[in-house]
Amino acid sequence: MILALETSCDDTCAAVVTQDGEIRSNVISSQGVHDRYGGVVPEVASRHHLELIGPVVDDALAQAGISLPELDAIAVTQGPGLVGALLVGVSTAKALAAAHRLPLIPVDHLHGHVAASFLKPSEFEPPFLILIASGGHTLLAHVRDHGPDWEVLGATHDDAAGEAFDKGARMLGLGYPGGPALQRLAEDGDPEAFAFPTAQQVPGLDFSFSGLKTALLYKLRELGEEETERRRADLAASYQRAIVETLARRVERALETDPALPQRLALGGGVAANGPLRERMRGLGVAIDIPPIQLCTDNAAMIASAARHLPALPFPQYAALDAYATGERGL
Amino acid sequence: MRLLAFDTATPATTVALALADEKLLTRRHEPGPGERPGHVSELLPLALELLDEAGVGFAQLDRLAVGIGPGTFTGLRIGVATARALAHAHGLPLVGVSTLRALAAGAAGPTADVPAHLAVLDARRGEAFAAAWAGEQELLAPAALAPEALAEAVAALPPGTVAIGDGAVRFRAVLETAGAVVPADDSAAHRVEAAVHARLAAGMEPTAADAVLPAYLRLPDAELALRRRRATAS
Ligand SMILES: [Zn+2]
Repeated sequence: MILALETSCDDTCAAVVTQDGEIRSNVISSQGVHDRYGGVVPEVASRHHLELIGPVVDDALAQAGISLPELDAIAVTQGPGLVGALLVGVSTAKALAAAHRLPLIPVDHLHGHVAASFLKPSEFEPPFLILIASGGHTLLAHVRDHGPDWEVLGATHDDAAGEAFDKGARMLGLGYPGGPALQRLAEDGDPEAFAFPTAQQVPGLDFSFSGLKTALLYKLRELGEEETERRRADLAASYQRAIVETLARRVERALETDPALPQRLALGGGVAANGPLRERMRGLGVAIDIPPIQLCTDNAAMIASAARHLPALPFPQYAALDAYATGERGL
Repeated sequence: MRLLAFDTATPATTVALALADEKLLTRRHEPGPGERPGHVSELLPLALELLDEAGVGFAQLDRLAVGIGPGTFTGLRIGVATARALAHAHGLPLVGVSTLRALAAGAAGPTADVPAHLAVLDARRGEAFAAAWAGEQELLAPAALAPEALAEAVAALPPGTVAIGDGAVRFRAVLETAGAVVPADDSAAHRVEAAVHARLAAGMEPTAADAVLPAYLRLPDAELALRRRRATAS
């Protein structure tokens, strides 16, 4: 059994997963304190991680009915993410492991999002394509095996999909976090009302959301305050559709242009919670896996899942292990 | 009492292991000029080295002590997270020791004729974390102070107060003008040493491990900015 810790952003997570991918516990403490700042504040997140990680680990072990010395290994997100936040998890995991001379398995956060699909009960097995879309990442990858050397087919040139949701939501006066609020507002709107760009000019399988953001800004100026207010739902629905299409058309392009790619698709990341995106992807006509939402958003079960297929560092080889920030390493 | 103590509030990583027969083992890492602090990569290896040298495992310790700052936020969290996890793993009592208190107590040893010790750490942004004691008596509570406030605080302390710490070196001119005595830049008195934490912690009452948290003494920038915005809006 593997205990995993994940503290790369603003969720403090710990989970226990068996070697064959059964989740024994999956504890997620969402800090919920960042709304007042309009976004995740690294220093605030780090302070909360330090206070929460102990109780969260306790809960994960208690729910799994296992004690520390009985574990086979401890896994931890090493990066990428907010370094100060990651260091709380890395320091805690190293100390817990060293205290009982357990092996430690450092895991890349994005490998975790891929490995969420390997977990029971869905156990979506490679090969497949995966679209990971969240507030921090947007990429399309070819998952040939259990990893960790997966091929990234496309990534975003600018904002992540979740960021595009948040920024659009802010422009429409919806506050933070914006994704769910924007989706709710869009339910009463017409997605065809406005034609927003879907980055079709971006070559290959890469993504871009900066043009879309600018287009919304200009549209709001053009409409003026009163008209914007009247058509907020239409604007939200059209904006959301553009994000969904930007994502979906890349997947379609991949499937069409390279017949050698597997006709199987998994979704990961918080944006996978978006209803219209799920619907659109289910309509692609390929086998699809969308893990339950608590496995799509950041969690530690996915980190444990990835760790199952990675080499463990025996005690005390990991004693000097450091975290790495966003952009320092790729998938 | 077997006690493992460490401090990561300053750029140094300092670890001490006190053993039953009053023996004390120490290890220290100091980043070179322009180098980043080595807390995350040095702390656990240094602690393991000491335990190895003494032939002691974590489970055989009686107590843990950690410097809770003030100091660099990230450094403090690495130390406190490590201490809390180690304490948790073996149900060990944990003591949080003020880094300023340890600095002052460390300097207080041989110089009995010094009326008070002012511990000063570089808080960056032109500020200092400072606190003062005359023996056990706290004369100035730990606070983040701008140079003018620091000078004012020093003026209220007994004449001949000795100021130590990397902040004392950094703010030497301010402190000396205000009447404090600052030892030479290379004096060992300016260094935070976990050996002092070990000595202090042996006489302190352990608290619940979850209650041991850094003494940040400063709100996150985003919170300060938010409060300023709200103050100007109202
Ligand atoms: Zn993520």
